[in-house]
Amino acid sequence: MVVSAKPVHPIWCPGCGDFGILAAVKRAATDLQISASDLVLVGGIGCSGSIHNFLEVNGLHALHGRLLAQAVGVKLANPALTVVAAGGDGDGYAIGMGHFIHAFKKNVSILYIVMNNETYGLTKGQASPTSPIGFEGNVEPPFDAILTALSIPAPNFIARTFSGDPKTMTAILEEAIRFNRDGRGFAFVEDLSPCVTYNDTYKLWREKVIDVTALPGYDPTDRKAMFRICLEQMEAGRIPIGVMHRSKDTTPEGLERKLLGDRPGPVLSDIRLESRLPAYEKLLAGLN
Amino acid sequence: MIGGQGGDGTLTVSDLLGRYFRKRGLYVYMSRNVLSRIRGGHADASVRASRDPNSSVKANVDVLVAFDAQAVDMGRAELAPHGVVVYDSTTFRAQVPNGIGFPFATLVGGVLGQPIFKNTAAYGALSVLLGFDPLVTKSVIEDRFRRRGGDAFEKNLKALEIGRKVALETEGVAGRFSVADGDAHDMILTTGNQAVALGFVVGGGRFFAGYPITPATEIMEYLQRYLPPLDGVVRQAEDELAAINMIIGAGYAGARAMTSTSGPGLTLMTEGIGHAAIAEIPIVVVDSQRVGPSTGQPTRHEQSDLAHLAHLGHGDFPRIILAPSDPEDAFALTVDALNLAERWRLPVILLLDQALSQNTTTAHRFGLSKVVIDRGKRLTPEAVARLEQYKVYELTDDGRSAYAPPGTPGIWSEVTGNEHDEWGHVSVDPANRHRMMRKRMEKMVHARDELPATRRFGPPGAKIGLIGFGSTSGPILEAQRSLASRGVSTLYLQARTLFPVPTHEIDPFLKEVDVAYVVEHNYTGQYARLLRESMPWHYSKLRSILKYDGYSFRAPQIIAGIGEAA
Repeated sequence: MVVSAKPVHPIWCPGCGDFGILAAVKRAATDLQISASDLVLVGGIGCSGSIHNFLEVNGLHALHGRLLAQAVGVKLANPALTVVAAGGDGDGYAIGMGHFIHAFKKNVSILYIVMNNETYGLTKGQASPTSPIGFEGNVEPPFDAILTALSIPAPNFIARTFSGDPKTMTAILEEAIRFNRDGRGFAFVEDLSPCVTYNDTYKLWREKVIDVTALPGYDPTDRKAMFRICLEQMEAGRIPIGVMHRSKDTTPEGLERKLLGDRPGPVLSDIRLESRLPAYEKLLAGLN
Repeated sequence: MIGGQGGDGTLTVSDLLGRYFRKRGLYVYMSRNVLSRIRGGHADASVRASRDPNSSVKANVDVLVAFDAQAVDMGRAELAPHGVVVYDSTTFRAQVPNGIGFPFATLVGGVLGQPIFKNTAAYGALSVLLGFDPLVTKSVIEDRFRRRGGDAFEKNLKALEIGRKVALETEGVAGRFSVADGDAHDMILTTGNQAVALGFVVGGGRFFAGYPITPATEIMEYLQRYLPPLDGVVRQAEDELAAINMIIGAGYAGARAMTSTSGPGLTLMTEGIGHAAIAEIPIVVVDSQRVGPSTGQPTRHEQSDLAHLAHLGHGDFPRIILAPSDPEDAFALTVDALNLAERWRLPVILLLDQALSQNTTTAHRFGLSKVVIDRGKRLTPEAVARLEQYKVYELTDDGRSAYAPPGTPGIWSEVTGNEHDEWGHVSVDPANRHRMMRKRMEKMVHARDELPATRRFGPPGAKIGLIGFGSTSGPILEAQRSLASRGVSTLYLQARTLFPVPTHEIDPFLKEVDVAYVVEHNYTGQYARLLRESMPWHYSKLRSILKYDGYSFRAPQIIAGIGEAA
């Protein structure tokens, strides 16, 4: 048995919502029998982005806002890996917004978890893109990732969970990873993860969350219906949670499958010169 | 030189001429001068053919082909005293001594109904003026247009005959020039960008992400054709931030990964390059330099990113900068860049410039005999199984740690842009910080003997030194030959590794010469500054010959620079 990097103790405050995600990711990996060697956890910058340090897993700690681009690079280079990107709302919805939108469009089979606490915790409580008006002098309306995600016509998996409900969270993360494994494309899960120090919203969110799966008209294959349901609930002061979208089509639409099919891809293909000699010679001979 | 409005087909005429000369065993160098717009605006191209290798634009133009009056105005200054102007007299009359007007657009339009084939008619007229072999002239049209399908081939053949006929019927045109055959056979016509794409493929490169930007875009376009059949992946990213981070992800995963860009994109990638250096992830970044800063002049030539690259980023970190001079060198150095990046687990920058990237030249066929793929301390699953422990940033004598990509059974690792210990755990321990900084920075010292060597040209003992890099080598070598023919000996040092500065090669060179002219395309003498910074004891020996008008050096300008500075 080769000794690898051992997990370190979390840097999070006691009671942080991120512990919920940590436990759920661990549980999902066990339930789905994903080995530490085959799982890559790409972390962003911020409290939540340090999650990969606290698990026996391949950790890739990315630049602020760039975890999705790095995660996409990992998966397209080696589709055999299970790739989970995890970061915060500042990382994903502010500095990383360009990559966030394009991740749905690219539709690479990776899971992206945003631990949304509606504040910049690590830098001590500034307003984030999801902060409500009035929080720390914020005057800009909050951004809603679920509505944005639903607006992009790609065969993705879209869900929101709440750290106050770890059981549902684990089930949804497991479903998301299975969705990736089947090569069906990008899975996005926003977790409502309270910051107990700068924005302790456990009580408030417990009152406001509503499970959309129990609502009349719920149909996660129908974007239009789900957009309307979510918007109506938000206008009524509720926070919708549950699986918001799951593409009807079960064929492997993930970008890595489209590009490579069942071929091994950049990392696992043989790059030794002798293995490709005829192809190279043909390519070079074709020049004039 | 061929000039006209964008869309007149000036580049097609130069392409046809280049193909003809190559078939005759001549060395060819073709440059282009276009605007950053799809159609319209002045565009010109130049073609040079010679019996000896020549990688520069000729200063005195023998024949100017003009599709409009502006092309005459712009080309006139570069015309040799004996130079002839062949122009399309459909819309204007050129007021020049040696003007020959043919109404190409009218003639072609009358027969084919479309004046757009006027460029091929001009090629036909030129073939008469230059005494081309008619069969070879025609075979060039066949090579270029046969595969197009439709009636493109037939119409171009007709246009060719129209051009030939009118030139043959005009007195004093046929055989005014003659072009001797050369001995350079089995050469290809290629560009630096194509050479980089091919070098990447044969060097085991399998992952490319980029964002369109002149003058680097063709690298991505070639790879979109070359890589997918070889299990490679090419992605056009949403921006340069995504491109650099995608290749970081792929490099971490164990693929040989590269991006290509130009100044504005490079600036955006800077943070990622630093990240790759501290996280020790191998990546190759191609920077094809253009005129900066900001949008600058996107289609024009400059070498002004060097100072930025040598001092790139926040914090101190290692990087290697390689600069090829021509397509053959670009092919070889791309393979070297991939090997160096993976052997030393750091970012390698392949520095091109617009002229090298986009000008078309004859080159020897790229061969595989010298291609070696060296993955450094890459661990196989079998080697991993024999380990007791796997530390991704293990401290070693030369700074190189063994690497096993994610997915290797039985192990995992922490790879991070935070300062870290040998296990990849975040660390703020001062002693560890000291060790890790030295581990990374001293790679540049340990790697020294593997870095591509400088090249010397000229007789040993010459006291006038010339130093340059990139495509500037072409005009420098021409200036050197020209000076030698006048009895002035010079020694030219072509730098191929720009950073770390190979002082062990350049210091002896500077000791041998009395003075060294650093020839480069920027305002501040960036390479001369870098040399002075590394070897201050040679401060006063170094002089600069600079050009920053967007055009590449012509040999006489370098000779004049030496004259002025002397």
